[in-house]
Amino acid sequence: MTDELPRAGHAVADFVQGYEEGHKLRGFRCPKCGFVSATWGMACPRCGGRNREERELGQAGRVVAFTLLTVPGDEFLNDAPYAYVVVELDGGGRITGWMPTVKSVDGLAVGDRVHFVPSYKPGVQFAKEADASP
Amino acid sequence: MREAWVVGAASNRFGKMADTGREAATRVSLAAIEKSGLEPKDIGYTFVSNCFGIAEHQAHVGPLINGGLGIPDVPSCTVESACASSSAALHEAFVQVAGGFIDAALVVGSEKLSHLDTLAATSYFAIAADYPFETRNGATFPGLYGTLASAYQAAFPHPPEMLGAIAIKNHANAARNPHAHFQREISMDTYLSSPIIASPLRLYDCCPFSDGAAAVVVAAKEFVKKPVTEPLVIRASARAGSITDMQDRPDLLGLPATKIAGAKAFRQAHMEPKDIDFMEVHDCFTIAEAVAIEDLGFFPKGTGVKAALEGVTVRDGRLPVNSSGGLKAKGHPVSATGVSQVVEVFEQFNGLAHGREVPKTGTALTHNVGATGGSCSVHIFSHR
Repeated sequence: MTDELPRAGHAVADFVQGYEEGHKLRGFRCPKCGFVSATWGMACPRCGGRNREERELGQAGRVVAFTLLTVPGDEFLNDAPYAYVVVELDGGGRITGWMPTVKSVDGLAVGDRVHFVPSYKPGVQFAKEADASP
Repeated sequence: MREAWVVGAASNRFGKMADTGREAATRVSLAAIEKSGLEPKDIGYTFVSNCFGIAEHQAHVGPLINGGLGIPDVPSCTVESACASSSAALHEAFVQVAGGFIDAALVVGSEKLSHLDTLAATSYFAIAADYPFETRNGATFPGLYGTLASAYQAAFPHPPEMLGAIAIKNHANAARNPHAHFQREISMDTYLSSPIIASPLRLYDCCPFSDGAAAVVVAAKEFVKKPVTEPLVIRASARAGSITDMQDRPDLLGLPATKIAGAKAFRQAHMEPKDIDFMEVHDCFTIAEAVAIEDLGFFPKGTGVKAALEGVTVRDGRLPVNSSGGLKAKGHPVSATGVSQVVEVFEQFNGLAHGREVPKTGTALTHNVGATGGSCSVHIFSHR
Protein backbone atom coordinates (compact mmCIF):
# COMPACT_ATOMS: atom_id res chain seq x y z
CA MET A 1 0.00 0.00 0.00
CA THR A 2 1.53 3.28 -1.03
CA ASP A 3 1.32 6.46 1.01
CA GLU A 4 -1.46 8.38 -0.68
CA LEU A 5 -1.34 11.41 1.58
CA PRO A 6 0.02 14.59 0.03
CA ARG A 7 3.74 15.13 0.64
CA ALA A 8 6.05 18.11 0.58
CA GLY A 9 9.06 18.23 -1.74
CA HIS A 10 11.25 17.24 1.17
CA ALA A 11 10.78 16.27 4.82
CA VAL A 12 12.02 18.17 7.89
CA ALA A 13 14.58 15.40 8.33
CA ASP A 14 15.87 16.10 4.80
CA PHE A 15 16.37 19.77 5.73
CA VAL A 16 18.38 18.77 8.80
CA GLN A 17 20.36 16.16 6.88
CA GLY A 18 20.88 18.77 4.15
CA TYR A 19 22.81 21.14 6.37
CA GLU A 20 24.41 18.50 8.57
CA GLU A 21 25.68 16.15 5.89
CA GLY A 22 24.93 17.59 2.46
CA HIS A 23 26.36 20.99 3.32
CA LYS A 24 23.44 22.74 1.70
CA LEU A 25 20.34 24.63 2.83
CA ARG A 26 17.14 23.16 1.45
CA GLY A 27 14.02 25.25 1.06
CA PHE A 28 10.91 25.84 -0.98
CA ARG A 29 9.67 28.38 -3.49
CA CYS A 30 5.98 29.16 -3.93
CA PRO A 31 5.06 29.01 -7.64
CA LYS A 32 2.09 31.31 -6.99
CA CYS A 33 3.65 34.27 -5.15
CA GLY A 34 7.36 33.49 -5.46
CA PHE A 35 7.94 33.47 -1.67
CA VAL A 36 11.07 31.51 -0.78
CA SER A 37 11.31 29.90 2.65
CA ALA A 38 13.34 27.36 4.55
CA THR A 39 10.39 26.40 6.76
CA TRP A 40 8.77 23.05 6.06
CA GLY A 41 5.11 23.02 5.07
CA MET A 42 2.59 21.76 2.53
CA ALA A 43 1.67 25.27 1.39
CA CYS A 44 3.15 28.74 1.24
CA PRO A 45 2.93 30.43 4.67
CA ARG A 46 2.37 33.78 2.96
CA CYS A 47 -0.27 33.12 0.28
CA GLY A 48 -1.44 29.56 0.89
CA GLY A 49 -0.27 28.50 -2.57
CA ARG A 50 0.22 24.73 -3.01
CA ASN A 51 2.81 22.66 -4.86
CA ARG A 52 5.84 24.49 -3.51
CA GLU A 53 8.94 23.83 -5.58
CA GLU A 54 12.19 22.54 -4.20
CA ARG A 55 14.72 25.35 -3.92
CA GLU A 56 18.32 25.15 -2.75
CA LEU A 57 18.90 28.33 -0.74
CA GLY A 58 21.92 30.60 -1.00
CA GLN A 59 24.68 30.02 1.53
CA ALA A 60 25.54 33.66 2.17
CA GLY A 61 23.48 36.68 3.03
CA ARG A 62 22.88 39.67 5.22
CA VAL A 63 21.92 39.84 8.92
CA VAL A 64 18.38 41.22 9.30
CA ALA A 65 18.18 40.98 13.10
CA PHE A 66 20.21 39.31 15.81
CA THR A 67 20.63 38.91 19.53
CA LEU A 68 23.63 37.97 21.65
CA LEU A 69 22.50 35.17 23.94
CA THR A 70 24.19 34.68 27.28
CA VAL A 71 21.70 32.18 28.74
CA PRO A 72 21.32 29.32 26.25
CA GLY A 73 19.09 26.29 25.95
CA ASP A 74 20.42 22.85 26.82
CA GLU A 75 21.81 21.94 23.38
CA PHE A 76 23.98 25.09 23.36
CA LEU A 77 25.12 24.98 26.97
CA ASN A 78 28.84 25.03 26.23
CA ASP A 79 28.70 27.58 23.42
CA ALA A 80 27.27 30.70 25.11
CA PRO A 81 27.57 33.52 24.50
CA TYR A 82 26.64 33.26 20.85
CA ALA A 83 24.57 35.25 18.37
CA TYR A 84 21.14 34.08 17.18
CA VAL A 85 20.51 35.56 13.75
CA VAL A 86 17.85 36.02 11.10
CA VAL A 87 19.63 36.04 7.73
CA GLU A 88 18.30 37.27 4.38
CA LEU A 89 19.96 34.86 1.96
CA ASP A 90 21.32 35.83 -1.43
CA GLY A 91 18.85 34.65 -4.04
CA GLY A 92 15.90 35.00 -1.68
CA GLY A 93 14.52 33.50 1.51
CA ARG A 94 15.31 34.05 5.16
CA ILE A 95 16.63 31.53 7.64
CA THR A 96 17.52 31.59 11.33
CA GLY A 97 20.83 30.35 12.62
CA TRP A 98 23.48 30.81 15.25
CA MET A 99 27.01 32.19 15.28
CA PRO A 100 29.30 30.73 17.96
CA THR A 101 32.18 32.99 16.93
CA VAL A 102 30.28 36.16 17.88
CA LYS A 103 31.07 36.71 21.56
CA SER A 104 29.98 40.31 22.12
CA VAL A 105 27.20 42.66 21.04
CA ASP A 106 29.82 44.72 19.21
CA GLY A 107 30.89 41.67 17.22
CA LEU A 108 27.95 41.83 14.82
CA ALA A 109 25.67 44.43 13.27
CA VAL A 110 22.42 44.40 11.31
CA GLY A 111 23.43 44.39 7.65
CA ASP A 112 26.66 42.40 8.15
CA ARG A 113 27.47 39.77 5.53
CA VAL A 114 27.54 36.19 6.84
CA HIS A 115 27.91 32.73 5.34
CA PHE A 116 26.74 29.23 6.22
CA VAL A 117 29.31 27.04 7.97
CA PRO A 118 28.80 23.25 7.90
CA SER A 119 29.42 21.90 11.40
CA TYR A 120 29.03 18.79 13.51
CA LYS A 121 27.19 20.88 16.10
CA PRO A 122 23.38 21.23 16.05
CA GLY A 123 21.64 23.92 14.06
CA VAL A 124 22.32 26.08 11.04
CA GLN A 125 25.59 27.83 11.77
CA PHE A 126 26.85 31.08 10.28
CA ALA A 127 30.12 33.05 10.41
CA LYS A 128 30.98 36.55 9.31
CA GLU A 129 32.41 36.82 5.81
CA ALA A 130 36.15 37.37 5.99
CA ASP A 131 35.87 40.40 3.73
CA ALA A 132 32.90 41.86 5.60
CA SER A 133 34.76 45.02 6.57
CA PRO A 134 37.01 46.64 3.97
CA MET B 1 -25.82 34.52 21.33
CA ARG B 2 -26.26 34.98 25.09
CA GLU B 3 -24.46 37.56 27.18
CA ALA B 4 -21.66 35.87 29.12
CA TRP B 5 -20.19 37.21 32.34
CA VAL B 6 -17.13 36.55 34.44
CA VAL B 7 -18.73 36.23 37.87
CA GLY B 8 -15.87 34.99 40.03
CA ALA B 9 -12.08 35.10 39.90
CA ALA B 10 -9.21 34.03 42.11
CA SER B 11 -5.43 33.72 42.02
CA ASN B 12 -2.78 32.48 44.36
CA ARG B 13 0.51 34.28 44.90
CA PHE B 14 2.79 33.75 41.94
CA GLY B 15 6.39 32.78 42.56
CA LYS B 16 7.51 29.52 44.06
CA MET B 17 4.65 27.42 45.36
CA ALA B 18 4.69 24.39 47.61
CA ASP B 19 1.47 23.11 46.02
CA THR B 20 1.57 20.90 42.99
CA GLY B 21 -0.03 22.39 39.88
CA ARG B 22 -3.10 20.25 40.49
CA GLU B 23 -3.51 21.30 44.12
CA ALA B 24 -3.09 24.98 43.26
CA ALA B 25 -5.56 24.70 40.38
CA THR B 26 -8.16 23.07 42.60
CA ARG B 27 -7.74 25.64 45.37
CA VAL B 28 -8.07 28.72 43.11
CA SER B 29 -10.99 27.05 41.31
CA LEU B 30 -12.91 26.60 44.54
CA ALA B 31 -12.11 30.18 45.58
CA ALA B 32 -13.37 31.53 42.22
CA ILE B 33 -16.57 29.46 42.44
CA GLU B 34 -17.19 30.58 46.04
CA LYS B 35 -16.65 34.21 45.04
CA SER B 36 -19.18 33.84 42.21
CA GLY B 37 -22.01 32.80 44.49
CA LEU B 38 -22.47 29.63 42.43
CA GLU B 39 -21.90 26.06 43.57
CA PRO B 40 -19.47 23.56 42.03
CA LYS B 41 -22.51 21.58 40.80
CA ASP B 42 -23.47 24.60 38.63
CA ILE B 43 -20.32 24.13 36.52
CA GLY B 44 -21.14 22.55 33.17
CA TYR B 45 -17.59 22.24 31.82
CA THR B 46 -14.08 22.76 33.15
CA PHE B 47 -11.45 24.16 30.78
CA VAL B 48 -7.96 23.63 32.13
CA SER B 49 -4.59 24.90 30.96
CA ASN B 50 -1.45 23.23 32.21
CA CYS B 51 1.01 23.55 29.33
CA PHE B 52 3.99 22.06 31.15
CA GLY B 53 2.13 19.53 33.30
CA ILE B 54 4.51 17.01 31.77
CA ALA B 55 7.23 18.56 33.98
CA GLU B 56 5.20 17.27 36.93
CA HIS B 57 4.58 13.89 35.24
CA GLN B 58 0.91 14.81 35.00
CA ALA B 59 -1.33 15.07 31.97
CA HIS B 60 -5.14 14.90 31.93
CA VAL B 61 -5.38 17.04 35.04
CA GLY B 62 -8.97 18.22 34.39
CA PRO B 63 -10.70 15.17 35.86
CA LEU B 64 -8.43 15.37 38.92
CA ILE B 65 -9.42 19.00 39.50
CA ASN B 66 -13.10 18.21 39.04
CA GLY B 67 -12.79 15.21 41.37
CA GLY B 68 -11.16 17.45 43.97
CA LEU B 69 -14.06 19.89 43.62
CA GLY B 70 -16.61 17.13 44.18
CA ILE B 71 -17.90 17.24 40.59
CA PRO B 72 -16.18 14.23 38.97
CA ASP B 73 -18.93 13.77 36.39
CA VAL B 74 -18.43 17.23 34.86
CA PRO B 75 -16.59 17.12 31.52
CA SER B 76 -13.17 18.75 31.22
CA CYS B 77 -10.46 19.24 28.66
CA THR B 78 -7.02 20.77 28.55
CA VAL B 79 -6.47 23.75 26.25
CA GLU B 80 -2.91 24.48 25.14
CA SER B 81 -1.79 27.57 23.25
CA ALA B 82 1.65 28.07 24.84
CA CYS B 83 1.65 31.25 26.99
CA ALA B 84 -1.87 32.06 25.71
CA SER B 85 -3.26 28.74 26.94
CA SER B 86 -5.70 29.94 29.57
CA SER B 87 -7.01 32.87 27.51
CA ALA B 88 -7.67 30.28 24.80
CA ALA B 89 -9.49 28.24 27.47
CA LEU B 90 -11.49 31.35 28.41
CA HIS B 91 -12.43 31.75 24.76
CA GLU B 92 -13.69 28.16 24.64
CA ALA B 93 -15.72 28.76 27.81
CA PHE B 94 -17.16 31.93 26.28
CA VAL B 95 -18.17 30.05 23.12
CA GLN B 96 -19.94 27.33 25.13
CA VAL B 97 -21.74 29.72 27.49
CA ALA B 98 -22.63 32.41 24.95
CA GLY B 99 -23.63 29.70 22.49
CA GLY B 100 -26.07 28.23 25.00
CA PHE B 101 -24.44 24.80 25.31
CA ILE B 102 -23.77 25.22 29.04
CA ASP B 103 -24.81 27.76 31.67
CA ALA B 104 -21.53 28.07 33.56
CA ALA B 105 -17.91 27.09 33.01
CA LEU B 106 -14.80 26.96 35.13
CA VAL B 107 -11.58 28.19 33.49
CA VAL B 108 -8.38 27.44 35.35
CA GLY B 109 -4.71 27.73 34.47
CA SER B 110 -1.91 26.33 36.57
CA GLU B 111 1.82 25.90 36.16
CA LYS B 112 4.66 24.65 38.29
CA LEU B 113 8.23 24.79 37.01
CA SER B 114 10.20 25.94 40.05
CA HIS B 115 11.48 22.44 40.74
CA LEU B 116 13.44 22.73 37.49
CA ASP B 117 16.69 24.68 37.17
CA THR B 118 17.03 27.67 34.79
CA LEU B 119 18.53 25.50 32.04
CA ALA B 120 15.68 22.99 32.16
CA ALA B 121 13.01 25.70 32.42
CA THR B 122 14.55 27.67 29.52
CA SER B 123 14.59 24.47 27.47
CA TYR B 124 10.96 23.62 28.34
CA PHE B 125 9.82 27.12 27.31
CA ALA B 126 11.77 26.88 24.05
CA ILE B 127 9.76 23.87 22.84
CA ALA B 128 6.87 26.28 22.18
CA ALA B 129 8.95 27.74 19.32
CA ASP B 130 9.50 25.90 16.00
CA TYR B 131 11.92 23.19 17.11
CA PRO B 132 13.74 22.32 13.84
CA PHE B 133 13.69 25.86 12.43
CA GLU B 134 14.19 28.04 15.54
CA THR B 135 15.01 26.18 18.76
CA ARG B 136 17.57 23.86 17.15
CA ASN B 137 19.25 26.91 15.63
CA GLY B 138 19.91 28.27 19.11
CA ALA B 139 16.71 30.16 19.92
CA THR B 140 15.39 30.62 23.44
CA PHE B 141 12.45 32.86 24.32
CA PRO B 142 14.67 35.69 25.51
CA GLY B 143 16.59 35.13 22.26
CA LEU B 144 13.50 35.37 20.06
CA TYR B 145 12.25 38.51 21.79
CA GLY B 146 15.81 39.89 21.83
CA THR B 147 15.80 39.46 18.06
CA LEU B 148 12.51 41.37 17.82
CA ALA B 149 13.92 44.05 20.14
CA SER B 150 17.03 44.42 17.96
CA ALA B 151 14.91 44.79 14.81
CA TYR B 152 12.75 47.37 16.61
CA GLN B 153 15.86 49.18 17.86
CA ALA B 154 17.26 49.31 14.32
CA ALA B 155 13.99 50.73 12.93
CA PHE B 156 13.17 53.06 15.84
CA PRO B 157 16.36 53.92 17.75
CA HIS B 158 15.62 54.55 21.44
CA PRO B 159 17.65 54.81 24.65
CA PRO B 160 17.61 51.82 27.04
CA GLU B 161 15.81 53.96 29.62
CA MET B 162 12.61 53.61 27.56
CA LEU B 163 12.43 49.84 28.01
CA GLY B 164 13.70 50.38 31.56
CA ALA B 165 10.71 52.59 32.34
CA ILE B 166 8.37 49.73 31.39
CA ALA B 167 10.14 47.40 33.83
CA ILE B 168 10.13 50.04 36.58
CA LYS B 169 6.40 50.76 36.08
CA ASN B 170 5.45 47.10 36.21
CA HIS B 171 7.57 46.44 39.29
CA ALA B 172 5.93 49.44 41.01
CA ASN B 173 2.50 47.97 40.25
CA ALA B 174 3.50 44.48 41.37
CA ALA B 175 4.75 45.93 44.66
CA ARG B 176 1.08 46.68 45.37
CA ASN B 177 -0.30 43.32 44.20
CA PRO B 178 -0.47 40.52 46.78
CA HIS B 179 -0.61 37.96 43.91
CA ALA B 180 2.70 39.16 42.44
CA HIS B 181 5.95 37.23 42.27
CA PHE B 182 8.14 40.34 42.71
CA GLN B 183 6.53 42.66 45.26
CA ARG B 184 9.27 45.26 45.13
CA GLU B 185 10.13 48.34 43.16
CA ILE B 186 13.31 48.68 41.14
CA SER B 187 15.32 51.77 40.18
CA MET B 188 16.68 52.78 36.79
CA ASP B 189 20.18 52.08 38.14
CA THR B 190 19.15 48.54 39.05
CA TYR B 191 17.67 48.10 35.58
CA LEU B 192 20.66 49.53 33.70
CA SER B 193 23.21 47.58 35.72
CA SER B 194 21.47 44.22 35.27
CA PRO B 195 23.28 41.78 32.96
CA ILE B 196 22.43 41.24 29.29
CA ILE B 197 20.45 38.03 28.80
CA ALA B 198 19.71 38.36 25.07
CA SER B 199 20.85 41.70 23.68
CA PRO B 200 19.47 44.29 23.91
CA LEU B 201 17.36 42.69 26.67
CA ARG B 202 18.72 42.74 30.21
CA LEU B 203 17.72 40.61 33.15
CA TYR B 204 15.13 43.20 34.21
CA ASP B 205 13.56 43.21 30.73
CA CYS B 206 12.59 39.56 31.23
CA CYS B 207 9.66 38.06 33.08
CA PRO B 208 10.56 35.41 35.65
CA PHE B 209 9.78 31.71 35.59
CA SER B 210 6.91 31.57 38.08
CA ASP B 211 4.66 28.97 39.60
CA GLY B 212 1.06 30.01 39.96
CA ALA B 213 -2.60 29.33 39.40
CA ALA B 214 -5.62 31.45 38.56
CA ALA B 215 -9.28 30.69 37.83
CA VAL B 216 -12.43 32.43 36.66
CA VAL B 217 -16.05 31.38 36.43
CA VAL B 218 -17.93 32.29 33.25
CA ALA B 219 -21.73 32.17 33.38
CA ALA B 220 -24.68 33.22 31.26
CA LYS B 221 -26.35 36.45 32.37
CA GLU B 222 -29.73 34.76 32.59
CA PHE B 223 -28.31 31.91 34.69
CA VAL B 224 -26.74 34.17 37.31
CA LYS B 225 -29.78 36.40 37.88
CA LYS B 226 -28.50 38.09 41.06
CA PRO B 227 -24.69 38.38 40.95
CA VAL B 228 -22.93 38.67 44.30
CA THR B 229 -19.98 40.53 42.76
CA GLU B 230 -19.74 43.13 40.02
CA PRO B 231 -19.61 40.91 36.94
CA LEU B 232 -17.36 41.46 33.94
CA VAL B 233 -19.52 41.47 30.83
CA ILE B 234 -17.49 39.79 28.07
CA ARG B 235 -17.91 42.25 25.18
CA ALA B 236 -15.36 40.50 22.98
CA SER B 237 -13.50 37.21 22.95
CA ALA B 238 -11.28 37.10 19.90
CA ARG B 239 -8.35 34.95 18.87
CA ALA B 240 -5.96 34.92 15.94
CA GLY B 241 -2.89 33.16 14.68
CA SER B 242 0.02 34.22 12.54
CA ILE B 243 3.15 32.80 10.93
CA THR B 244 5.12 31.24 13.77
CA ASP B 245 8.60 31.54 12.34
CA MET B 246 10.21 34.97 12.38
CA GLN B 247 12.10 34.04 9.25
CA ASP B 248 8.86 34.00 7.25
CA ARG B 249 7.24 37.18 8.57
CA PRO B 250 7.04 40.28 6.37
CA ASP B 251 8.60 42.34 9.18
CA LEU B 252 9.81 41.94 12.75
CA LEU B 253 8.34 45.15 14.15
CA GLY B 254 5.15 43.68 15.60
CA LEU B 255 3.09 40.55 16.09
CA PRO B 256 0.55 40.06 13.28
CA ALA B 257 -1.66 37.89 15.53
CA THR B 258 -2.07 40.78 17.98
CA LYS B 259 -3.16 43.10 15.19
CA ILE B 260 -5.70 40.60 13.86
CA ALA B 261 -7.10 39.53 17.27
CA GLY B 262 -7.24 43.16 18.45
CA ALA B 263 -9.13 44.33 15.36
CA LYS B 264 -11.56 41.40 15.68
CA ALA B 265 -12.16 42.19 19.36
CA PHE B 266 -12.86 45.87 18.74
CA ARG B 267 -15.30 44.91 15.97
CA GLN B 268 -17.09 42.42 18.25
CA ALA B 269 -17.34 44.96 21.07
CA HIS B 270 -18.31 47.83 18.75
CA MET B 271 -15.52 49.79 20.40
CA GLU B 272 -12.31 51.57 19.48
CA PRO B 273 -9.05 51.84 21.40
CA LYS B 274 -10.16 55.21 22.80
CA ASP B 275 -13.03 53.43 24.59
CA ILE B 276 -10.68 51.33 26.77
CA ASP B 277 -9.91 52.60 30.30
CA PHE B 278 -7.12 50.20 31.28
CA MET B 279 -5.53 47.01 30.03
CA GLU B 280 -3.37 44.03 30.81
CA VAL B 281 -1.03 43.18 27.92
CA HIS B 282 1.42 40.36 27.35
CA ASP B 283 4.75 41.78 28.57
CA CYS B 284 6.85 38.62 28.77
CA PHE B 285 9.66 41.04 27.91
CA THR B 286 9.50 44.84 28.11
CA ILE B 287 9.72 45.12 24.31
CA ALA B 288 6.59 42.97 24.07
CA GLU B 289 4.55 45.56 25.99
CA ALA B 290 5.83 48.36 23.72
CA VAL B 291 4.92 46.40 20.59
CA ALA B 292 1.55 45.16 21.96
CA ILE B 293 0.14 48.61 22.67
CA GLU B 294 1.11 49.60 19.11
CA ASP B 295 -0.30 46.47 17.45
CA LEU B 296 -3.57 46.86 19.40
CA GLY B 297 -3.97 50.34 17.91
CA PHE B 298 -3.32 52.51 20.97
CA PHE B 299 -0.05 54.03 19.75
CA PRO B 300 1.48 54.57 16.29
CA LYS B 301 4.28 52.16 15.33
CA GLY B 302 7.57 53.18 16.87
CA THR B 303 6.05 55.22 19.72
CA GLY B 304 4.80 52.54 22.14
CA VAL B 305 8.29 52.25 23.57
CA LYS B 306 8.05 55.82 24.93
CA ALA B 307 4.67 55.45 26.67
CA ALA B 308 5.91 54.32 30.09
CA LEU B 309 8.77 56.84 30.32
CA GLU B 310 6.35 59.63 29.35
CA GLY B 311 3.93 58.55 32.09
CA VAL B 312 1.04 57.61 29.81
CA THR B 313 0.82 53.95 30.86
CA VAL B 314 1.64 54.24 34.55
CA ARG B 315 -1.08 53.27 37.02
CA ASP B 316 -2.50 56.79 37.37
CA GLY B 317 -1.73 57.80 33.78
CA ARG B 318 -4.09 58.38 30.87
CA LEU B 319 -4.03 54.69 29.87
CA PRO B 320 -2.82 52.37 32.64
CA VAL B 321 -1.12 49.24 31.29
CA ASN B 322 -0.43 46.21 33.48
CA SER B 323 -1.67 47.57 36.80
CA SER B 324 -1.16 44.02 38.13
CA GLY B 325 2.57 44.22 37.46
CA GLY B 326 2.20 42.25 34.23
CA LEU B 327 4.07 39.10 33.34
CA LYS B 328 7.21 41.13 33.93
CA ALA B 329 6.76 41.52 37.70
CA LYS B 330 3.55 39.78 38.73
CA GLY B 331 5.17 36.74 37.14
CA HIS B 332 4.52 34.35 34.28
CA PRO B 333 3.25 30.91 35.29
CA VAL B 334 2.65 30.14 31.60
CA SER B 335 -0.80 28.55 31.73
CA ALA B 336 -2.11 30.75 34.55
CA THR B 337 -1.13 34.04 32.90
CA GLY B 338 -4.12 34.60 30.59
CA VAL B 339 -6.68 33.98 33.32
CA SER B 340 -4.69 36.01 35.85
CA GLN B 341 -5.03 39.06 33.58
CA VAL B 342 -8.81 38.66 33.97
CA VAL B 343 -8.39 38.31 37.74
CA GLU B 344 -6.80 41.78 37.71
CA VAL B 345 -9.77 43.20 35.76
CA PHE B 346 -12.13 41.50 38.23
CA GLU B 347 -10.31 43.01 41.21
CA GLN B 348 -10.24 46.48 39.60
CA PHE B 349 -13.98 46.27 38.76
CA ASN B 350 -14.83 45.11 42.28
CA GLY B 351 -12.71 47.56 44.25
CA LEU B 352 -10.37 44.78 45.38
CA ALA B 353 -7.17 46.20 43.82
CA HIS B 354 -6.22 47.90 47.06
CA GLY B 355 -3.38 50.38 46.64
CA ARG B 356 -3.12 49.90 42.88
CA GLU B 357 -6.50 51.24 41.73
CA VAL B 358 -6.62 52.65 38.21
CA PRO B 359 -8.47 55.99 37.72
CA LYS B 360 -11.27 54.62 35.49
CA THR B 361 -12.64 51.08 35.49
CA GLY B 362 -15.46 51.27 32.94
CA THR B 363 -13.86 49.08 30.29
CA ALA B 364 -10.81 46.85 30.17
CA LEU B 365 -8.86 44.87 27.58
CA THR B 366 -6.70 41.79 28.12
CA HIS B 367 -4.11 40.65 25.58
CA ASN B 368 -2.32 37.31 25.84
CA VAL B 369 0.24 35.96 23.35
CA GLY B 370 1.32 32.41 22.63
CA ALA B 371 5.08 32.16 22.11
CA THR B 372 6.24 34.90 19.69
CA GLY B 373 2.77 35.48 18.31
CA GLY B 374 1.82 32.18 16.73
CA SER B 375 -1.38 32.64 18.71
CA CYS B 376 -3.06 35.55 20.47
CA SER B 377 -6.22 36.22 22.48
CA VAL B 378 -7.85 39.59 23.10
CA HIS B 379 -10.80 40.03 25.46
CA ILE B 380 -12.75 43.20 26.19
CA PHE B 381 -14.83 43.62 29.34
CA SER B 382 -17.27 46.22 30.61
CA HIS B 383 -19.79 46.65 33.40
CA ARG B 384 -23.46 45.72 33.01
